[in-house]
Amino acid sequence: MACCAELLLSIDLVNADKLAGRFRKYKVILTPQKFYACEMVLEEEGVYGDVSCDEWAFSLLPLDVDLLSMELPEFFRDYFLEGDQRWINTVAQALHLLSTLYGPFPNCYGIGRCAKMSYDLWRKLEEEEDSETKGRRPEIGHIFLLDRDMDFVTALCSQVVYEGLVDDTFRIKCGSVDFGPEVTSSDKSLKVLLNAEDKVFNEIRNEHFSNVFGFLSQKARNLQAQYDRRRGMDIKQMKNFVSQELKGLKQEHRLLSLHIGACESIMKKKTKQDFQELIKTEHALLEGFNIRESTSYIEEHIDRQVSPIESLRLMCLLSITENGLIPKDYRSLKTQYLQSYGPEHLLTFSNLRRAGLLTEQAPGDTLTAVENKVSKLVTDKAADTRWNLAQISSPGKITDAFSSLAKRSNFRAISKKLNLIPRVDGEYDLKVPRDMAYVFSGAYVPLSCRIIEQVLERRSWQGLDEVVRLLNCSEFAFTDMAKEDKASSESLRLILVVFLGGCTFSEISALRFLGREKGYRFIFLTTAITNSARLMEAMSEVKA
Amino acid sequence: MRPVLEIYSASGMPLASLLWKSGPVVALGWSAEEELLCVQEDGAVLVYGLHGDFRRHFSMGNEVLQNRVLDARIFHTEFGSGVAILTGAYRFTLSANVGDLKLRRMPEVPGLQSAPSCWTTLCHDRVTHILLAVGPDLYLLDHATCSTVTPAGLAPGVSSFLQMAVSFTYRYLALFTDTGYIWMGTASLKEKLCEFNCNIRAPPKQMVWCSRPRSKEKAVVVAWERRLMVVGNAPESIQFVLDEDSYLVPELDGVRIFSRSTHEFLHEVPVASEEIFKIASMAPGALLLEAQKEYEKESQKADEYLREIQELGQLVQAVQQCIEAAGHEHQPDMQKSLLRAASFGKCFLDRFPPDSFVRMCQDLRVLNAIRDYHIGIPLTYSQYKQLTIQVLLDRLVLRRLYPLAIQICEYLRLPEVQGVSRILAHWACYKVQQKDVSDEDVARAINQKLGDTPGVSYSDIAARAYGCGRTELAIKLLEYEPRSGEQVPLLLKMKRSKLALSKAIESGDTDLVFTVLLHLKNELNRGDFFMTLRNQPMALSLYRQFCKHQELDTLKDLYNQDDNHQELGSFHIRASYASEERIEGRVASLQTAADAFYKAKNEFAAKATEDQMRLLRLQRRLEDELGGHFLDLSLHDTVTTLILGGHNKRAEQLARDFRIPDKRLWWLKLAALANLEDWEELEKFSKSKKSPIGYLPFVEICMKQHNKYEAKKYASRVSPEQKVKALLLVGDVAQAADVAIEHRNETELSLVLSHCTGATDGATADKIQRARAQAQKK
Repeated sequence: MACCAELLLSIDLVNADKLAGRFRKYKVILTPQKFYACEMVLEEEGVYGDVSCDEWAFSLLPLDVDLLSMELPEFFRDYFLEGDQRWINTVAQALHLLSTLYGPFPNCYGIGRCAKMSYDLWRKLEEEEDSETKGRRPEIGHIFLLDRDMDFVTALCSQVVYEGLVDDTFRIKCGSVDFGPEVTSSDKSLKVLLNAEDKVFNEIRNEHFSNVFGFLSQKARNLQAQYDRRRGMDIKQMKNFVSQELKGLKQEHRLLSLHIGACESIMKKKTKQDFQELIKTEHALLEGFNIRESTSYIEEHIDRQVSPIESLRLMCLLSITENGLIPKDYRSLKTQYLQSYGPEHLLTFSNLRRAGLLTEQAPGDTLTAVENKVSKLVTDKAADTRWNLAQISSPGKITDAFSSLAKRSNFRAISKKLNLIPRVDGEYDLKVPRDMAYVFSGAYVPLSCRIIEQVLERRSWQGLDEVVRLLNCSEFAFTDMAKEDKASSESLRLILVVFLGGCTFSEISALRFLGREKGYRFIFLTTAITNSARLMEAMSEVKA
Repeated sequence: MRPVLEIYSASGMPLASLLWKSGPVVALGWSAEEELLCVQEDGAVLVYGLHGDFRRHFSMGNEVLQNRVLDARIFHTEFGSGVAILTGAYRFTLSANVGDLKLRRMPEVPGLQSAPSCWTTLCHDRVTHILLAVGPDLYLLDHATCSTVTPAGLAPGVSSFLQMAVSFTYRYLALFTDTGYIWMGTASLKEKLCEFNCNIRAPPKQMVWCSRPRSKEKAVVVAWERRLMVVGNAPESIQFVLDEDSYLVPELDGVRIFSRSTHEFLHEVPVASEEIFKIASMAPGALLLEAQKEYEKESQKADEYLREIQELGQLVQAVQQCIEAAGHEHQPDMQKSLLRAASFGKCFLDRFPPDSFVRMCQDLRVLNAIRDYHIGIPLTYSQYKQLTIQVLLDRLVLRRLYPLAIQICEYLRLPEVQGVSRILAHWACYKVQQKDVSDEDVARAINQKLGDTPGVSYSDIAARAYGCGRTELAIKLLEYEPRSGEQVPLLLKMKRSKLALSKAIESGDTDLVFTVLLHLKNELNRGDFFMTLRNQPMALSLYRQFCKHQELDTLKDLYNQDDNHQELGSFHIRASYASEERIEGRVASLQTAADAFYKAKNEFAAKATEDQMRLLRLQRRLEDELGGHFLDLSLHDTVTTLILGGHNKRAEQLARDFRIPDKRLWWLKLAALANLEDWEELEKFSKSKKSPIGYLPFVEICMKQHNKYEAKKYASRVSPEQKVKALLLVGDVAQAADVAIEHRNETELSLVLSHCTGATDGATADKIQRARAQAQKK
């Protein structure tokens, strides 16, 4: 019913027209799905007769050669906060569409409640349609479904890979970005498509920001050299140059100056002392040292009203990495925040708690007993049927208690198990990254990507039991391998990663890196591109 | 005594017999869907199924009630079956398709005082016309006009038309006059094909066309009491004697003649059959048939015949002729011998495509099966082809001949979904109507037969069961439906909404769940509805989402019912700024919220809410006393606004009242005073007591306002560990270097070094390098 808001707007439009005595025909096109509720709303508002509804069953938007987005930013809040399962059907439909296009997926892995439900529903769709895909040769060897709440940490970190930084700074929307006058160095804004078509961007998108400037200036020099070649040319060569190369060079030149502009703009914002302090705090949180210092840093951040969203993000990062805030900090940080930004954020905190993003540390053993009890209750109920899944995942009375407990992040333990914080011996060479940690300046390997790496290596969850348990996902990690393997070795290199609740550009960059290292090719399917600010905004209550 | 309506198969097997309890019937006829249309005198048309089951009825208009129906025709066009009536007022009304009833009253014939001597419907360019004869005149009625028409080349002396007949395809028309003269021509009457004078002046009982599609021979059959005459483009007619009262039915390729004891089919001999069976025929097909017969007798004549055909290069044609002729035979023996001949001929041909032969064998097998008198569908080959196998299967289903239909599907290897599954589904739908069998037995029988045959929809069958009033059976059948989503609409219809709800949830289709929810909401009272929701958390969260956008009050009730005080609190908080306008209302809202939070044992939220109440009241007072805008500012912003407005006392008071921590207050004041550029006040403030945030922020903020002079004042007071930073901020690189050297701190040294630019700081840079070198020596 997120669409309701927009729908109501259009209803207002219709009614305004009516009042003004204008009688028109209206058409509302609903996508990705026409919900019964929408028609009902139209009916209740008394405009059903004036409006005709159509459905555009559009589920996948290819944003790039390896990136498909469902463009459902509301998925995150609807599912992970409100427990609304409406989009699961949409996800299952999208997966079904992909399997009709590319044949069955011989190897399926997944983790998370939503992943499991989507997977089950998808399977059901396949069975019902007894499609012709059964006999087809699979083109994509693996599919991996992952819930966003398996790994909030990665999404909450400041991004330092170029594409991620551009997203954090300028907000990439549907694969394109609005560069303002400070970037274009003219008085106009410019909408730029950011994908593999953009040769310059394609080379720097996955690079750590510290390399980007050097790369761009090298590129600029090369470009100049190519321009300079025309000096010694005779007429014929010149003709050739103008007709064939010049256009490409000009294009490249244009892109280059744009990205240099963007870099400068980012530098201006990010190379300040503040940003370095911020990154330092983040790294401290990830590694789990100097917690007090970080807490005071966050407090100061709030007191100085630096940025409401940033402060929330840091609080959440602290909470998740520390398995919740200690009660004293929990209260004082919240108080400070309310004093800075207004009382309506009481609701924000209530949301964050429900989603497990900002919680209070459970005092000691008494609660572990409860936790055991609750999780037993859950296991009993989760007899693998979707119906039961539905029962658990919605916030009811027991489940409320359950969710705040079950969502204990255990980050520290997981981090140790999966070796997420690389040992630093000497400087981490960001120019020649040695692992996925480079996307966070060598300080942290993104958890989500590490899980994917580990499962792909083992071709199952075997040996990861402890991690799965720590992720509170014992019932929701699954592997499904096809019995007869008709997949070609080429298709087995191809992996579709489905992020339910959004993924960040840093994760994409990390997996692209992993792909290059291990000879995989990843394709990403996400409900939406996200980043820390988007996650926090989704959880925030704002006065209308 | 009441009349009896009896229905027989074409082979004379009784299908149904029922007492006629309705009014007098003017005409009977079958529709294309094999429904019996009975046109009554009062204009009502009663529709019966093949088994005498009453289906429905409709009326041919109110006008008929008074005037009665004099005569009626049931006719067939490409759009379906139609009914035309002639009323007692000599007006025509027709409906071109009884499936989609649209009555059309035809225009009046001027000066018509008596019933026409004969009439018929014509169909031309998708419009149905009526042609009628009154005395010597012919009138054509279309939707708007009545026009007089004259047949081309009509013999003179006609004073009345006794019969008229239109061909099966509506292309030709025949007229029988009182002079015993028959005119045959196109239906437009503009062209005459031929004429014939039979010299019988008695009005014939029936006259119908008898011709084959695409045949050049046109002929009509005229019937009197005991005489049947075939008339065509020939000087002579063919005459037969009728032993009994007979009735003629014109069909695509001939005429059926029914009597009490016989059912005959009169048709023009097909070309292929004629070629083969004509006496002394030398046609290739005839020779091939001969050759095969001789071959069976092991006579060498076989070779002679074959050679003869081959010499003329007509073997292909011969095989084709035999195949085609076989199709027109009704006796299996004759079919077989013709097919054997074709097969024999095929042996001597390279690359003769086998499909026509194979298909004919299959078709004949099917035809022979349905022509069996037990089945009684004596279709000719052409009719079968025209009808298509799908329609034939429908007709078998209509006769409840399910096993035969399935055998045919299997024999012809039709895809399951179109074939077997469809028939089984029909069978099941029939099965559920057997009222004498118990629900369990019916459900089990159906499931045993159908299993999970693809393409069978259990929900459709269940819908039928429900239609027959067998709700329990319908529910049992729905259990077999694998797609839970499909079960939902019917369950809703049967008012089993709660069951529908769990099925909808099972299907995973939230939209469906929602549909059911809204049904339930209207069906149950609020309490029951909420209870139902409570047991279905997935539905509950969905409904909650809906309420958040559409029905806020319901949302509150939902939380109340669940004793969910936390959410209730949040709800009232939201209300305090979203829906309440007046300050009193807002405070009241907050109070409710605070109470709820206490109940939820969320003291923090309760306290925060109470603080907000206080703040709101205070902001209101500030607005009243000082003017300006305070409402809805955060505590921090309220204090800032006070300072910016020069109300320092008030600001202090507020900070005390709300226990603003020192640190925050210092940050706040610092920012506010710098914003005012009130440097004097800032200095006073800095000296009021020892800063809890240090003095570096003072330096920073002054520099931000580009006041180096002020910044320097504070730089000296910055704590030693931040001193270098402070000095660098105010641009005193040299002193920063000194301090760093003094601290012997490597990171500080490099920090300073990175700030050394150009020539001015050259000396400083050297100094640092020297200090470093010295440090290393040690």
